[in-house]
Amino acid sequence: MTPERWHRVEEVLQAALDHSPADRAAFLNEACAGDEELERETSSMIAVYDDASDFFAEPAIARDARVIINSEAQMHPGREIGPYQIIRHIGSGGMGEVYLAHDPRLDRPVALKVIRAGLVFDEALVRRFQTEARVASALNHANILTVYEIGQDDEFFFIATEYIDGPTIRERIRAADLTLQDVLEIARQLLSGLEAAHVAGIIHRDIKPENVIQRHDGVVRILDFGIAKLLEKSSPESPSTTSPVVRTETGVGVMLGTIGYMSPEQVRGLGVDVRTDIWSCGVVLYEMLGGQRPFDGQTNADTLVTMLEREPEPLFGTSGQTPPALRQIQVVIDKALSKAPAGRYQTAAEMRTSLEKIKTALEVSKQSGAGAISAQTNVRDLRSLAAQTSKSGFRRAIAMTVAALLITVMFAAAFMYQRQRERARARLLAVKAAPKSYLQMTEAEKLAFIEAQEQRISNMMGDRSVKLNDEALRVIKVRVDRYATRQNTAALKPGEESLSSTYARAPEYIPVIARAFTARKIPTVVGVYLPMIESAYQPCYENEIGAKGLFQFLPSTAEHYGVSRAEMCDVQKMAPAAAHFIADRMAELGDDAQSMTLVLLSYNRGEDSVRESLRRLRETDANYERNFWTLFANRDKLDEGFQRESAWYVPEFFAAAIVGENPDAFGLQMPALSSFAR
Amino acid sequence: MSVSAASVTQLLFDWQQGDQSALKKLTPLIYDELRRIAHHYVKHERNGHTLQTTALVNEAYVRLAGQERPEWQNRSHFFAVTAKVMRHILIDHARRRRYLKHGGQFQQVSMAEASLMSEERAGELIALDEALDELKNFDPRKSEVVELRYFGGLSLEETADALEISVMTVRRDWRAAKAWLFRRMARTEFRVQASACDYQNMSNLKVEL
Repeated sequence: MTPERWHRVEEVLQAALDHSPADRAAFLNEACAGDEELERETSSMIAVYDDASDFFAEPAIARDARVIINSEAQMHPGREIGPYQIIRHIGSGGMGEVYLAHDPRLDRPVALKVIRAGLVFDEALVRRFQTEARVASALNHANILTVYEIGQDDEFFFIATEYIDGPTIRERIRAADLTLQDVLEIARQLLSGLEAAHVAGIIHRDIKPENVIQRHDGVVRILDFGIAKLLEKSSPESPSTTSPVVRTETGVGVMLGTIGYMSPEQVRGLGVDVRTDIWSCGVVLYEMLGGQRPFDGQTNADTLVTMLEREPEPLFGTSGQTPPALRQIQVVIDKALSKAPAGRYQTAAEMRTSLEKIKTALEVSKQSGAGAISAQTNVRDLRSLAAQTSKSGFRRAIAMTVAALLITVMFAAAFMYQRQRERARARLLAVKAAPKSYLQMTEAEKLAFIEAQEQRISNMMGDRSVKLNDEALRVIKVRVDRYATRQNTAALKPGEESLSSTYARAPEYIPVIARAFTARKIPTVVGVYLPMIESAYQPCYENEIGAKGLFQFLPSTAEHYGVSRAEMCDVQKMAPAAAHFIADRMAELGDDAQSMTLVLLSYNRGEDSVRESLRRLRETDANYERNFWTLFANRDKLDEGFQRESAWYVPEFFAAAIVGENPDAFGLQMPALSSFAR
Repeated sequence: MSVSAASVTQLLFDWQQGDQSALKKLTPLIYDELRRIAHHYVKHERNGHTLQTTALVNEAYVRLAGQERPEWQNRSHFFAVTAKVMRHILIDHARRRRYLKHGGQFQQVSMAEASLMSEERAGELIALDEALDELKNFDPRKSEVVELRYFGGLSLEETADALEISVMTVRRDWRAAKAWLFRRMARTEFRVQASACDYQNMSNLKVEL
């Protein structure tokens, strides 16, 4: 906009704002006198004026006070917290910030972990903080970070610990300079520290490379007992008293990546004991040697499935050609990563002893020649060595692979695989099915939940399951989140309806809708949730452009499908018309109608636009998956109209369905909506 | 506080003279003051009271610059810096929040930190930031009015004083800027042009991509 143009626009805008709201439209029409663009410009601003005033009614700080309170660079050098003077910020922990600080009383550096006191918003955080302090200060061991002091001043809780100038194991793995000896030594010390904790009745529960740090003199220290658990010897944990899955108490502060380190029983929310730490040590050992985690997936849900269902890829062979040390290490890893706790080392000491034996043997052995390994071998070289030694089996492996491939192709393995994955997912889901409230889930759990549910609803729609990318999941999630917040009636915005009132309207109409949709061979789930996103199940809802009824038909469309203007609030009339309308869209889409997501899109946008989008996509890839999500992932190649709709219509549908099919998770006192269709 | 009141005044003066390093030195002090103000908010939120940010910002100025009769120029510059720092913190947080969202999942952004701002709010703030930059191109004064009012928390009167314009002018600038910005935000944030086809209301269209 040029200043000149803006000058003109503002003049009209200001004059309009001087009029009463009711007179503004008429005023603009007259004042713009045929300058359509000016009128459009100004009326669009007038249209949002009330919302704009709401938005700007309170200064940002009123809304974002907590961000400010917790913003980084919060403490500048020289600032005093308790007796300590901040030197610099050194990291963000799962909770609170960590600073290098100076203790003037003893003239020594300390690592100061700090959270603001008096923040009501996160009592759990404060609790964790205190647990950490209490637990860690109870432990006095060479391989556990020494806690100097736990304190509180007017503004902060703080924990002062020894300051370690050295890399975390994560950093060492990244640097790729670990030798076999380093790995064994780190693992030995890690296990030794855990042993002490376990003996003291403390389980760490969050062992991962980030939480293990090594001093420059080689001493390893375990950090972050923030989610540690005190074993209560008198009352053994039973599954019924612990809540399911990746618990929030672990969730707070656990980076999303941490899922890869939890034991199966921890993920399942079963009781955990010291053996959960053994598992995590196995993962860390594997990662130090192999450079990657034993269980990994594109999404957290994949990682969880892999971890619960599959054995990790062995790092080293166990054949005669594999150096004995590596064979033995493989055995240790396999044992630590046994899915059943009973199959693992029962104590950290046992695992440590096994590793120590291997280490000693390595140090005394004097191997030489090609393929020989020593304690000083870099672990990277072990990996290539492992690849070499398995060469002899190569031919056989190829033969088997070819055979397997053939069989696979013959039996359409892709399909089987898909099925298998679905089953794995369903099992995972069953594990998670304990009705956990969506709002109580961690971000990772929410995404995993949405991913699984999206698959389920796609299946209900008769669509081939496709794997959604992260972005697609998050677009759905934004909407599910919005539904979820409407559970809390106290937090409703003006004019907003509670989730339970909205969903309670649906059962009355669903049988009629289901009949109409079944008659046209359209999956009923489509008919069940379209009204939710179109009209929130208000049979006589009319929008500002005159679309009306449960399915939001324009009067002209309704008439075309044999429903008069007067009948538009009548569900008995509208449901068959909607089914008919959708059947027509399916017919128009032809082959592409195999995907209900595309039909939905066409319901909203018209088939021309969908066809055009599909055509453009075919130009780039003739074999694309025909469904909305493919369009979504490629939307930058599509027209603006598509981009606009892609943003919300289909994701909104899925969000509404995810809520309706999981009433328990959203605090709805009713069965799943689809059950009313039967 | 290691920086004396006199030096705050000096730093404000230097900044006004175009010395950017003065702003760097001022920023941590202002950070702390903003946090103090934010604490008031959190506390009052619990009591259900609304607060006059202006009073708090003024109080912050007096605390930093000392009790002696504050130099007028410096005071308004203090407000300007405060508003800028505020904007900076929030936008920075919003962008990191976004980064977290866009697959930066192994970022060391704690959940505790991420929970401070909703994705939706982050989207709003980024859209506002962009819109303000654009507004600045063709109407810099309005952009300043908004910065002072929205990020600095100043009243109409304080804003008028700070910019040395009449209250009436601020009032008119404010309302026109609000309308323009909000519509502009709707376009960036929702990537939607309000059109007759969008038959859900605007608030339903908010989506972050």
